[in-house]
Amino acid sequence: MKSQSTIQPPKLADRFFNWYCRNELSESIQGDLHERYDFYRTEYSPIRSNYLYWMDILRFINRHTLKRTSTRRTFIPTIMLKNYTLVALRNIKRNKAFTMINVIGLSISMAVCLLILATIDDQTSYDEFHSKRDDIYRVTHERLNAEVNIPIATTPMPLGDRLRNEYASLEHIVQFRRGFQGEIIDNGKAINLNGYFTNPEVFELFDFELEVGNPATALSEPNSVILRKDIAEKFFRDKDPMGQDLNVEGLGQFKVTGVLKELPGKTHINFEALSSFSTVASLEKQEILSESLSDWEKLSTGWVYFNFKEEEKLADLQNTLNRISDESYDEDSEYEVVFHIQKMTDITPGPLMGNQIGQSMPNFFIYGLVVLAILIMTCAAFNYANLTTARALTRFKEVGVRKVMGSTKGQVIMQFIIEAVLVSLFSLLLAIGLLKLLIPAFESLNMSSLLEWKLNPDTKVYIQFFIFSLVTGLVTGFFPSLYMSSVKPINALKGSSGPKMGGIGLRKSLIVTQLVISIVLIISSTLVHRQIKYMMTRDYGFQRDNIVNIALQGQDFDLLKPELEKLSFVEQVSGANNIPNTGQHYDIDIRKTVSEEAEKYNYFAVDESYIKNLKLELVAGTNFTPKQTEEREVIINEQAAEALGFATPIEAIGGNVILGDSTNVNIVGVVKNYNFMILYMEIRPLLLRYNPEEFEWAQAKVAGANPIQELKELESVWAGFDPNHDFDYKYFDDQIEEFYSMFYDFVYIIGLISILSIVIAGMGLLGIATYSIQTRLKEVGIRKILGAEGKNLVMLLGKSFFIMIVISTFIGGLISFFGNKAWLELFAYRITFGYDILGIAFLFIIVVGGLTIGTQTWKAMKTNPADILRNE
Amino acid sequence: MRFNLGEFEEIVLLVVAAQNDDAYGLSVTTAIEKELKRSVTMSSVHTALYRLEEKGLVKSEVGGTTKSRGGRRKRIFMISSAGKDALLQAKDARTHLWSMIPKIVFEGQ
Repeated sequence: MKSQSTIQPPKLADRFFNWYCRNELSESIQGDLHERYDFYRTEYSPIRSNYLYWMDILRFINRHTLKRTSTRRTFIPTIMLKNYTLVALRNIKRNKAFTMINVIGLSISMAVCLLILATIDDQTSYDEFHSKRDDIYRVTHERLNAEVNIPIATTPMPLGDRLRNEYASLEHIVQFRRGFQGEIIDNGKAINLNGYFTNPEVFELFDFELEVGNPATALSEPNSVILRKDIAEKFFRDKDPMGQDLNVEGLGQFKVTGVLKELPGKTHINFEALSSFSTVASLEKQEILSESLSDWEKLSTGWVYFNFKEEEKLADLQNTLNRISDESYDEDSEYEVVFHIQKMTDITPGPLMGNQIGQSMPNFFIYGLVVLAILIMTCAAFNYANLTTARALTRFKEVGVRKVMGSTKGQVIMQFIIEAVLVSLFSLLLAIGLLKLLIPAFESLNMSSLLEWKLNPDTKVYIQFFIFSLVTGLVTGFFPSLYMSSVKPINALKGSSGPKMGGIGLRKSLIVTQLVISIVLIISSTLVHRQIKYMMTRDYGFQRDNIVNIALQGQDFDLLKPELEKLSFVEQVSGANNIPNTGQHYDIDIRKTVSEEAEKYNYFAVDESYIKNLKLELVAGTNFTPKQTEEREVIINEQAAEALGFATPIEAIGGNVILGDSTNVNIVGVVKNYNFMILYMEIRPLLLRYNPEEFEWAQAKVAGANPIQELKELESVWAGFDPNHDFDYKYFDDQIEEFYSMFYDFVYIIGLISILSIVIAGMGLLGIATYSIQTRLKEVGIRKILGAEGKNLVMLLGKSFFIMIVISTFIGGLISFFGNKAWLELFAYRITFGYDILGIAFLFIIVVGGLTIGTQTWKAMKTNPADILRNE
Repeated sequence: MRFNLGEFEEIVLLVVAAQNDDAYGLSVTTAIEKELKRSVTMSSVHTALYRLEEKGLVKSEVGGTTKSRGGRRKRIFMISSAGKDALLQAKDARTHLWSMIPKIVFEGQ
């Protein structure tokens, strides 16, 4: 018997049994079970015995044995709800500072999450107004032998007819073709028009509606066009647009046959006008548009959308598509193409694709945002829990009394969750306020105008916000409430310190992690900011103050130049094809002899005033001979002289090079190196070519004494010169700054996240400081009685936090040093990683930490030892 | 007083009475298995015992510890006077019904 009883039944089964079984019954039943198990072991194999034992235990689950928890009976204590809310409100009111910190911390995190929520909402709201949206598909393609293998949204034009003729199960097939764009001269103003050629079925497949015009015939005649309402108003104002002629430069005369109703929502198909598909054939015949209708290798000209007649036979259609691609493309050729079918609702957000018909947000971006939101809220919830449990010491008595009066664990949990939900709802109000501030800032980012972000939260979004904050409250309140409700009333009323909170080490390492993240973010955003500032203000080696760049818009530079130079404040005007340091570049083949392999050099097409105007320095040779009719001379920079193999710049003078195929030019001068390209790159070989034909810009050097007056006069000269186009100008330095300001997007975003992380880390610090100081209050009291001075106490309490901050700064400094070095080294001209930045970050954290810990320490020191020790 | 005893409850109650002062969950289970050659699960016996206790037909008290059960005490079930009444009533009812069967019914065999 004794030897048998040493054989223990499976522990897990016992634990499970004890978990569900009522305490009064568990002992006797478990005894029986064990006795029975001993019997099994004498009869059966251990495995079978264990199995039988488990079965016994499972069979014992019934209404007699299950634990009776009182929460089951009063899951929602309706009667007490009012009391809980009242107590929660009182508590919130009483601890104003504490509530403020909690609400601010939560609301900042929440605002960011709301922003993300609104963004996701906005980005998933495309194409919702099409009644057939779930039935519409399009064909995409993938080139198997291309270098970059991403799916492409366009398909060759002949595919549309093949599908129409060979595949009967499709109801509507709508093709869009690129190329319907050009300037329209209206009342002396040139306005750009962008649209597509498409077939009449577009009104049946999609829910684009015509305000005027007949959808059945509007797009059937060649050279007919329908306009978006705002565009029609722009061109024709009060006039009735129907039947009017529209002269699209380069394409010919079009007749307006319809005006589109304003769209009820966003669509991924972006256009200002649609023209009839029947126009395409004649335009291609006249060679105005390049041949595409029967060319299977023109892969990027058009899109094809369709829906099925009755049931959707996707696999069947895919087979047909495979057959078509097999017939139309040679295997192993450069053009081996496979077609895919894509559902319209999967387009945006959808997979990353080339040649989209409009803007589209890749879906991984959405996933990234969701992950970010979850991370932020996890941190915020963690900190809320940390702070609440830290302050819980003052509320143990309340819980104790509640429990003595008959409150159950479930009810206490309920109470604290309600409190968290209230705090979370307060935070929501503040967060919505913050969001109102954030949205304009966010929408002004270059990035967001690219993606057409319109973050106007509607009722649906607000309901989402509300649900979100409720869930946040539930989640954040869950852990503190579990902790608070585990108080044993007898301990609470005796005044001892409540249940032990395990894992102070874990909490410390979490805080260190938060601090490290903040430090890395502070340092990185400072560095990015400095680098951009550096690039914008650096001396590029050319003059850019007081130069107005005027876009020629097709006008003759030679005629404009003397007109501009007549103005008294204009010193001189030079022409150029391109503005340096704005991200664009042109290049051309160059070689010294015909037999040599050509290299590509960047070039600017300029005139003889260019060097003087931009104050470039000629280190050798001379400027261009003015008024050349043929391109005979070229000026190079020092880098090019070296690259072409001349030992000194002077040696290069008189040298002969061949540009492009056969333009022989003489090197007449060498300019000092200057940064003509974005500072990301080293100075490369550069050619200044004398080539007025390519001019796009007139660069006028002005006195700059009275900019407003000067611009006015420049504009009136332009107006007299070209009444059709608006005066399009930019100050040279503004134009360069504008280009670099794109990078400020990063600064804004990183800056925002670093503020967020500092707030979160600060809250974490505060929580842990409060907790550890509260638990050491008695120690502080005794030390004070024994004569400890203030500074000793500060040392005592602050030391461990100081160590945490130093460790975080060290780790954060290392990470940001190597992390930022990686991207900084991509820049040819860069700032150095200064220790001052590390110092700033350290100081910042010290200040935040000092404030949070300092206030707590000070409070601990101020308390009267008699109050703390009275109970002992 | 009328008692409504289920068939299984009656058997359990009979065994409890038979094992006078030594009846507990497992012993009742094994007795039923052995004497009636009928397979029962321990939990259903326990359930029956609790139900009988709720009806006041058995009393239970916690017994002393035994080594074989890992030191866990037994819950000993004893028949109450109401239980005895219930058993007698059930028996009487059966005898009464038996007496009503005409002799001819069994004679044919």
